[in-house]
Amino acid sequence: MNILEISDLTVRFGGLTAVNAVSLDVPAEEIVSVIGPNGAGKTTLFNAVTGVHEPTAGRIHFDGRETRRPFRATTALALALVGFVAALSLVLIANIEPLWDAVITTNYVYQQAFPWQKTPGAAVSYFAEEPGRRFLIPFLIGGITGLAGAYAIWARTRYAPEVAARAGIARTFQNIRLFNQMTVLDNVLLGMDSRLHMRFWHAALRLPLYWRERQEAEQRAMEILRFVRLDQETHQLAENLSYGHQRRLEIARALAIQPRLLLLDEPAAGMNPAEAQELMKLIHDIRQRGVTVLLIEHHMLVVMGISDRIAVLDHGEKIAEGTPAEVRNNARVIEAYLGKDHEDAAAT
Amino acid sequence: MAARRKILFHWSFLIVAALIPLIELVVPGNHHIGDLLRPIFIMAMLGLGLNILTGFTGLLNLGVAAFMAVGAYSYAILTCDIYPFRLGFWSATLITVLVGLTVGLFLGLPTIRLRGDYLAIVTLGFGEIVEDVLKNLDSITKGTQGINPLPSPSLFGYQFRPETYQPWYYLFLGFLALLVLVNRNLQRSRVGRAWISIREDELASSCMGINPMKMKLLAFALGAAQCSLAGALWASYLGSSGEPGNYDFQVSIIALCMVIVGGMGNIGGVLLGALVITGFNSIVLETLTNFLKAHQIINSSNVFTAPGNWKYMLYGLALVLMMRFRPEGLLPSKQLKAELHPQEPHPPPPS
Repeated sequence: MNILEISDLTVRFGGLTAVNAVSLDVPAEEIVSVIGPNGAGKTTLFNAVTGVHEPTAGRIHFDGRETRRPFRATTALALALVGFVAALSLVLIANIEPLWDAVITTNYVYQQAFPWQKTPGAAVSYFAEEPGRRFLIPFLIGGITGLAGAYAIWARTRYAPEVAARAGIARTFQNIRLFNQMTVLDNVLLGMDSRLHMRFWHAALRLPLYWRERQEAEQRAMEILRFVRLDQETHQLAENLSYGHQRRLEIARALAIQPRLLLLDEPAAGMNPAEAQELMKLIHDIRQRGVTVLLIEHHMLVVMGISDRIAVLDHGEKIAEGTPAEVRNNARVIEAYLGKDHEDAAAT
Repeated sequence: MAARRKILFHWSFLIVAALIPLIELVVPGNHHIGDLLRPIFIMAMLGLGLNILTGFTGLLNLGVAAFMAVGAYSYAILTCDIYPFRLGFWSATLITVLVGLTVGLFLGLPTIRLRGDYLAIVTLGFGEIVEDVLKNLDSITKGTQGINPLPSPSLFGYQFRPETYQPWYYLFLGFLALLVLVNRNLQRSRVGRAWISIREDELASSCMGINPMKMKLLAFALGAAQCSLAGALWASYLGSSGEPGNYDFQVSIIALCMVIVGGMGNIGGVLLGALVITGFNSIVLETLTNFLKAHQIINSSNVFTAPGNWKYMLYGLALVLMMRFRPEGLLPSKQLKAELHPQEPHPPPPS
């Protein structure tokens, strides 16, 4: 079964086509690598899968569903609500002073009981005097603006990283993006936060749910930190960690969101062979936990050593896909990496 | 052990603050330290509201005075007997907080995609708009007169009086302690974590499943609610909503000064900032002016010699000096300190 299905994905930035009609299937619980020369579009592919970039064309299905916000009945309801509130607000803003006079000032005698039952009637008769100018026009303008604005924001954020993350896609970044001024433990806890049920009032008032979830989350965070062997550093600031530890912390943070698919963007960059070996073991262990791994890597030892399948990108297009052995002997791959051989170059 | 000592240390502040009005009983003399502290408590609440937005979430807001004005006016309209509502202190304060929450959402929704300087400009404009609206909505806000007189609150059957300041002092101290507690709880929970992660790296934060729009809206709503609570207490303290000009740009800047001088993103820092800035304004400058006048060193008709007229220049100087020598504030959060002094060698990890 494929956990991720990318079909004819194209991502364009202005005139530059970074990814061109790439299709890629990732079977569940396998390790799949994406390789290719610099600028081949590997990271853009990752960004599209995780919702950072919106695809220009093509579809991405994760676990049978598209990785964008679905349009549900509640979405329509929320949009309508925003429009309605905006409409009422504009009516109120446009009429605030005469409405106040008609409803409150004329009915209130200083320090006498206020006839509240009269207020709805007074408001209605105020609007009935000139229903078009006082009510309909501001209502329509407010409603349309509110609805259009809410829809625009919703549509622009359909592809959002948090949508992909909540569906179960976690990632690390090519240039490490930890929360440097947070502790190691907080970095991991942050990854867990989207799975918690507590709301801000639980946190503000420290209701029982807060304590329960905090304890559970901290236990799980410690378990993950032990898994990546960072449990000695829990209270360090993330930026004080060594480079290799920062890489591992990024993986720990990504694992904290309980992903089913983990995207690693050059995890072995800048590592020495011993560290790379350790990383390979870690990736194996992650797969053992039932997480599918999609990997961008330049370190060929790592790629060939752990991948079940490899896809090769060049200039935004997929030029080869297969097992490590197949890819190693593929003529187009060799050409992309090393260029055409000498006779060919002389002939052209 | 260290944690417990820290908690004791924090509680000792509250105890000292609770004892201050009693000084008067022990030491004879006409020095109302507690009286002077009341506006500081209220400004500290304003600073805490701004701290949620600017300190935690990194949304630069130059219009918090508007939230305070909304709170003061809504409290005034709900309690003053020239309007039909005539509510008591608790219900009026509660409704005011809800109004502040709504206004925060209303400002937050359309500006949700703005960041940095652009958001600062919008909030600046919002502050000016609110001030102008309050000035011109004559029949509702009484224009430049302000709404007064407001009845003094009565709590649990006790009627507050403007002459005795001690009950007010404890009321405001109680509210401030409550806000500090709530803010601290938020800071150390998923909410505070999400806010700080958005300040540090919004993209990474959203890739971890945090919805930045939701968290920013929450910051706007809660920050505005706290500022409007400060406004409501301010109005109850003055016995008047004050005129719209009391909530102008300078108030927003003073609040921002408190947060920056004290230490952005740190609750204790904001309290210290409120004490230093507002205390300087209402205690040091005033005492200095009175002293100079009493000894006839200055001529009260000359505006240049009155120390009070120099205060904005002094604030400006303080800000410039802070930015140059201690950008993280007097009492920084350890996170921001690390952010602003990246070149300093880090202490070796304890083994």
